Amino acid sequence: MVNKIEVKNLSCFYNKKCVLDSLSINVVKNEILSVIGPANSGKTTFLRTLNRMSDLDVSFSRMGEVFLDGENIFNVNMESLRRRVGMLFAMPIPLPMSVYDNIVYAPKRLGLINKKSDIDALVEQSLKDASLWNDVKDRLHTSAMKMSGGQQQRLCIARILAINPEVILFDEPCSGLDPVSTAKVEESMLELKQKYTIVLVTNNVKQASRVSDRTAFFLMGKLIEVDKTGELFVSPKEKQTEGYITGRFG
Amino acid sequence: MIRLSPKLSQKLSYILLFMATILAIVPVLVIMFLIVKNGASAISWEFLTSMPKDGMRSGGILPAIVGTFAIVMCAVVITLPIGVCAAIYLNEYAKDNFLTRVIKLAIVNLAGIPSVVYGLFGLGIFVMFFKLGVSIIAGALTLSIMELPVIITTSRNALNSVPKSFREASLSLGVSRWQTIRHIVLPNALPGILTGTILSIARISGETAPILFTAAAFYVPHLPKSIFDQVMALPYHLYIISTQIPNMPKNIIYGTALVLMMMVLSISFVAIFARVYFRKHRKW
Amino acid sequence: MREYLDYIIETIVFICGMLSIVFVVLIFSFLLKEGLSFFKDFSFVKFITNQFWYPSSTPLSFGILSLICGSVLVTLGACLIAVPIGVMSALFIAEIAPKGVRDILKSLVELMTAIPSVVIGFVGMVTVVPLVKNIFNLPTGLSAFSGSIMLGFMAMPTIVTISEDAIRSIPWQYKEGALALGATKWQALRRIILKAAMPGIIAAIMLGIGRVIGETMAVMMITGNAAHVPHSIFDPIRTMTATIAAEMGETVRGGVHYKSLFAIGLVLFLITFVVNFVADLFLGKNKNL
Repeated sequence: MVNKIEVKNLSCFYNKKCVLDSLSINVVKNEILSVIGPANSGKTTFLRTLNRMSDLDVSFSRMGEVFLDGENIFNVNMESLRRRVGMLFAMPIPLPMSVYDNIVYAPKRLGLINKKSDIDALVEQSLKDASLWNDVKDRLHTSAMKMSGGQQQRLCIARILAINPEVILFDEPCSGLDPVSTAKVEESMLELKQKYTIVLVTNNVKQASRVSDRTAFFLMGKLIEVDKTGELFVSPKEKQTEGYITGRFG
Repeated sequence: MIRLSPKLSQKLSYILLFMATILAIVPVLVIMFLIVKNGASAISWEFLTSMPKDGMRSGGILPAIVGTFAIVMCAVVITLPIGVCAAIYLNEYAKDNFLTRVIKLAIVNLAGIPSVVYGLFGLGIFVMFFKLGVSIIAGALTLSIMELPVIITTSRNALNSVPKSFREASLSLGVSRWQTIRHIVLPNALPGILTGTILSIARISGETAPILFTAAAFYVPHLPKSIFDQVMALPYHLYIISTQIPNMPKNIIYGTALVLMMMVLSISFVAIFARVYFRKHRKW
Repeated sequence: MREYLDYIIETIVFICGMLSIVFVVLIFSFLLKEGLSFFKDFSFVKFITNQFWYPSSTPLSFGILSLICGSVLVTLGACLIAVPIGVMSALFIAEIAPKGVRDILKSLVELMTAIPSVVIGFVGMVTVVPLVKNIFNLPTGLSAFSGSIMLGFMAMPTIVTISEDAIRSIPWQYKEGALALGATKWQALRRIILKAAMPGIIAAIMLGIGRVIGETMAVMMITGNAAHVPHSIFDPIRTMTATIAAEMGETVRGGVHYKSLFAIGLVLFLITFVVNFVADLFLGKNKNL
């Protein structure tokens, strides 16, 4: 059990209003940690702080520390941090270009690859890892905007894999998808955890129970409970956790 | 006093409003009709491509066309990069603070300064202080400052119309801010920026007051050789022949007005068609 | 290297952003410098209260009261034409015209902005001026009245488009509420929409005024350019802008006359600055609705 991410006393604010209150939590290497909780409980803020996307918002401020492999992420360059910590958004956001260009966009900008043969191989490998290769191998050069929602979301996964990060953050990745597409995304998550560490924020309690190793329950900006997924769902220690997962509120 | 029923008063008011709308539209159509009707006969290939003769009472208007073209192109080349950069700053980098509000206020006021005051400023700074003389470049610099607020505003709207999510997606992959702007935001905002630029070209082609003392000459018998030459300009030429020259044949004045109007209108139409085309073919 | 580039770019765009401020300050200070050197020899109060503008005869007299009166008269006249017609057409286009026609009407109104002001001046000279002369039996049709007509139509697109935006930006709940209470659509428009859109409409009028005060070529060609305090709207007049445009060519660079024209420019700058500032305030108000 190696801790990939250690969060220590993290508090976050939007316009001085506290949305995340002195949070301390660890993410273990190669696990899927899911974060559940009702709306406005600070889940997404937590996730967006892990790769410092929230720092883009001028009204955002924070206190505390987050360590990635023992290194404080607030001391490293934002771009290199985001290269190591990829993020999948709630809605699929393909960039307005072809499938192929979507994959090679970031590696090219980051200067990871140059040779044409390497690029082709990278595109194929990333799409295969995101189980999208068979769907799109014949139309790599058509616009990514024309694909179905589920395909777009898997393309976004492939795009992240292409920069070979260490951690992948999933922000309610299935909220806009149908059950079949959701199953496919969940399937890829389970495969991905062999190589990557995954943090999954979800509104869907059942999804958390299906895919995650450990689950954390957030409420009103506070971490209420974190435990092995089996434990948390079978015998939650806190009353509020029980209330939420049994559907009494939220 | 007679009280009209609500239904009837609604009907009467609608008719009144409709007539007001007609009144707002008719003058421009009348102006265009008059110019086309009286000017069409003067237009010929020779009129467009030869020099003026007999104290401008006959011959063509080639130097005025070339002069206007030269001034306007120089002005756009100067103002476009500055305007787009300023728009990028305001839309992508600027925080919502006092300085930003001052910049926005400055842009609003720059847009409101009378064109003749720009002419004064251009005369004082470019013609006299920088000793550029009455020349294409002095006129172009003057026009470019005058066009700056328009370019900034339209470019900013174009940048703003690119969905925020594209920026987030790009940044989340570790791509830097400038690379995101350069490879995602700018290409997608380009149609809007181009349309705005073409429209502003149309607008400054018809401006007279700013070039009155900075670039325009009463009569130059040859075409400009460098950007430091004085030139004839179409709007100024029209002013001269319609007010300063006695016994000016009317059809030449109308013809000149027609050329100027068609130049401005056709550039505007190109911009409008471009806008419609790009909207239809938008990638997102 | 990437970070370095980002830093350079950020600096460049910041400088370009600041240029707008630089230009406004530069224009103002330049006018101020020339204007102040003029006011050293001629008092400012006399400049704006004296009605005699004899910049090149002896004795010299630099009073712009007649020019200010000319500008104000033409502007007022233009507003009397443009404001009612403009606001009414804005209402019609925004709320009454069928959807398909709306954009066409709007573009037709905006077409006026595409006509260069010299062209408008020329057309005014050959149509409105003789017409005014004949109808009102005047010695000359070159008058404030003719100028007002043409300028009114030049200000129309500004007033119509900005008012129309303001009217359209009123949330539809306002209308629904009134209609639900049994008011006719016209009553809802007049009592509620027009009132709610008022800040935007005032801003539109201010910007229209700004446009008219700053207009140069058309005004110079139509209003007769007589520098005296007008007694009626049918008198020929001369505006501040026309004075600058007409006389700058003849002045000795750096001379008193030259400087006096910059002083007029300064007055114009200040007037339009205030007008636009007020318009901007009202526009801001409309957004917070």
